[in-house]
Amino acid sequence: MSGPNDDNMSPHTQLSSHFFGDLLDSIIVDVASECHRIAKLGLDRNLEEEEEELRLSTQARVRAADPSNSGEANSKYVVDIFGQTHPPVANEIFECMNCGRSIMAGRFAPHLEKCMGKGRKARLKATRSSTAAQNRYSRGSPVSTYSPYSNSSSTNRLSNGTPGVAGEEYSNGTLEEP
Amino acid sequence: MRNSVNRPPTPDAAEDLGKEPMFQEIINIKLIESGEKERLMELLRERLIECGWKDEMKALCRAFIKKKGRNDVTVDDLVRVITPKGRASIPDYIKAELLQRIRAYLVQAAV
Repeated sequence: MSGPNDDNMSPHTQLSSHFFGDLLDSIIVDVASECHRIAKLGLDRNLEEEEEELRLSTQARVRAADPSNSGEANSKYVVDIFGQTHPPVANEIFECMNCGRSIMAGRFAPHLEKCMGKGRKARLKATRSSTAAQNRYSRGSPVSTYSPYSNSSSTNRLSNGTPGVAGEEYSNGTLEEP
Repeated sequence: MRNSVNRPPTPDAAEDLGKEPMFQEIINIKLIESGEKERLMELLRERLIECGWKDEMKALCRAFIKKKGRNDVTVDDLVRVITPKGRASIPDYIKAELLQRIRAYLVQAAV
């Protein structure tokens, strides 16, 4: 085995080539495996089918962005990218936690405005219930005949002469601005 | 030869040495255990990426997959596709560099 150097050159060369081939084969298998994985997982956007999908999706996007296709104007229901349709107003019905009425989901926000008191009339509802007791004691008039809405009778009943802001009645003279 | 592993008697002609499978196995084990094989592989991988060889092979694979349809393809198919071209298209300077490194290893391992 341990002969002179030139004797070892030839087997060394052969051996080296052998191992080089070995390394190369491993790397080839790695590359093949990687390409195989990419193909199977559909990660390669350049394969034909992906091109087809791409074309279809751009078509769909164009159709969706097209203003003449505004769904609510032309047709009652718009079809989204999953093929689902949604009515323009959400139509699930549930119970309002404030007043207990059955409300449609799409109409819930406006309902809450009235129901909880952003608006003038809604605040009346609130003040009515809080001042109802005071009314009963100060006026002696039955609360049930009290109307929160503007009418001449309510202004007539104002005892303190404050200008009748239509529809509002006060037992203690404090003026609440609508 | 100072290895302590049992092996069949060496044939007389020194040129036959490289062909003995047992002998090659021993060297292979030495290569792996010393970590040199891993280093060589990384070096070769790097060189092949730099020179675009890997991209060529991937293009070959993609072309084949497009033709055959990606659901039918096996790793064996791809290996078979790229091996002939792969082995043939290694740039000379890369081959030379690797062979040189391997030979250097064999010398210092005193085989």
